[in-house]
Amino acid sequence: MNTIANTTNYTTRLGEVVETSSAAFTVQCYDLYGAPALGALVRTGRDSPVYGVVRNVVTSSMDPGRRPVARGQDEADEEAVYRSNPQLDKLLRTDFQATIVGYPDSVGTGMRYGLPSQPPRIHAFVHACAPPEVRAFAEDLRFLPLVLAGAAPEADEVVAAFLRQAASAHDDSQAFLMKAGRQIARLLSRDLQRLNAILGSLRA
Amino acid sequence: MPLDLHSVSAQVHAMGDDLRAHSAGRLDLLEKAVELFKASGSATRFSPASPPNDYRALATDGSHIDVDRHMPVPCALINISKVMLQYGSAPGVRLGSQPRLYATAEELSVGTQADQESQPLTGALMGLRRTVEEVTALAELAEEHADTLLTLGLIDGSLILWSPEFHSYPEHVRRSLLDDGFLPALDRLKAVAERKRLTVAAYISMPRSTTVVNMLPLQEHTQGDYRWMVDRDVFERTLAVGERSGTFPSTSAYVREHYREHATHFYYLKTEQEMARVEVPAWVAEDEALLALTHSLLLDQCRKGLGYPVAIMEAHEQAVIGGHERELFRQMVEEALARQGLDVYTSEKARSKRLRWV
Repeated sequence: MNTIANTTNYTTRLGEVVETSSAAFTVQCYDLYGAPALGALVRTGRDSPVYGVVRNVVTSSMDPGRRPVARGQDEADEEAVYRSNPQLDKLLRTDFQATIVGYPDSVGTGMRYGLPSQPPRIHAFVHACAPPEVRAFAEDLRFLPLVLAGAAPEADEVVAAFLRQAASAHDDSQAFLMKAGRQIARLLSRDLQRLNAILGSLRA
Repeated sequence: MPLDLHSVSAQVHAMGDDLRAHSAGRLDLLEKAVELFKASGSATRFSPASPPNDYRALATDGSHIDVDRHMPVPCALINISKVMLQYGSAPGVRLGSQPRLYATAEELSVGTQADQESQPLTGALMGLRRTVEEVTALAELAEEHADTLLTLGLIDGSLILWSPEFHSYPEHVRRSLLDDGFLPALDRLKAVAERKRLTVAAYISMPRSTTVVNMLPLQEHTQGDYRWMVDRDVFERTLAVGERSGTFPSTSAYVREHYREHATHFYYLKTEQEMARVEVPAWVAEDEALLALTHSLLLDQCRKGLGYPVAIMEAHEQAVIGGHERELFRQMVEEALARQGLDVYTSEKARSKRLRWV
């Protein structure tokens, strides 16, 4: 199994935790529109890392009292709006929320799925996980109920997005998806509608 | 009880009726003024050049917390913002502000000299000091960005250091503000402009000045009362959108005597949204290229700012001290005193405003 130590080299720093709780944390991105994809696996903290799955991305005005206004009527394309208004880079911010799904065990070689005793701290750096780390984390999918607990159908989309990304991190993505499909079928055996929605989304 | 809006509404309506009753007579006077202005030979108009694709706009602004006699110690805070917006092939932005506390006796007075009495830095004088700090910050900003890129330095408001109380201050206080602050900052801007491509302008939205109207021989040609008339009214009828008027020197004797090569000149600019007054120092007014640049770049700034120069707007946003922050500042001062074991004595008036018992 891959450990934290030998997978962190592949990561990039995305931003910092600005809101935190036992079940989820919010990250302010360093770059406007710098959020990872929906369903992406991210890791926060150095001394006691916590893993999260991106469940929502929000871009809004830095100052709640100043709403963005339409600026592009005379511009050729959307990029020109940003070129003509360079201040937008500093006045808008992109945040994302992640559902906490696990943390490394105390030895640092295995993964504990579920909620840590303490959530990440405010200002904890947040990194995108590279394929080897995603592969290692997705070896077991018993954390999925934490993500599925969110409101449907968004939560189902987040699960499907996570599984698609995890699949592409595997050499044999079909085999991974088959295994994941079986696990979800067990979890959602009483809710065929949700199960079909996720499986349909995985095939897409 | 809160404001009686019912009563306010009735009075506002009455004001509207009153204005309409006057407007017919005013229109005739205005037409006469426009006629006289055109006959004066000063009614030149200039179309804007198209703005360069690559340029940079710099702006600074300030906000302050005045000395409050209800606070336990006399102290004041000035927050000065610096904004840089870069357009064209390498777009960029820099937004920020720097607060400074004024607390010592020396910091809280102006014009301290051996044999002269200094003036306490509060009220209108605080506003003047803030203007000096804003122009100084613009000079710093221009020096920090002195390269080959065409740059417009913008000041919010007038290029004349003035307040209604200005002339009530002793001469050495006025000279201290000018000679040790305002003019040296303009010297620094001019020095950058001599080496690099920098032009400087101050932008006044909704100006109330009457310099041009006062030059017209209205008294000889009309009987009506024209004291309500402002320059803006005349230029609204003589300029097309995008055009600027000719440039006029400030008529202030104080400016002529003390501002040297920075003596203020002004022109009116009709943007898509409003009539603005633009003030420039003499060294910009006398250089046709620098002057035309203030014109085309200000129009571009207004277009990008949806009616108001975007760099000035962002400078304001960076500088402004909100109500909540003012309250936090007061708490910070009280806590700092308490930590030192000093008596925190706040006036009962201030305390009652905060607590608002029922």
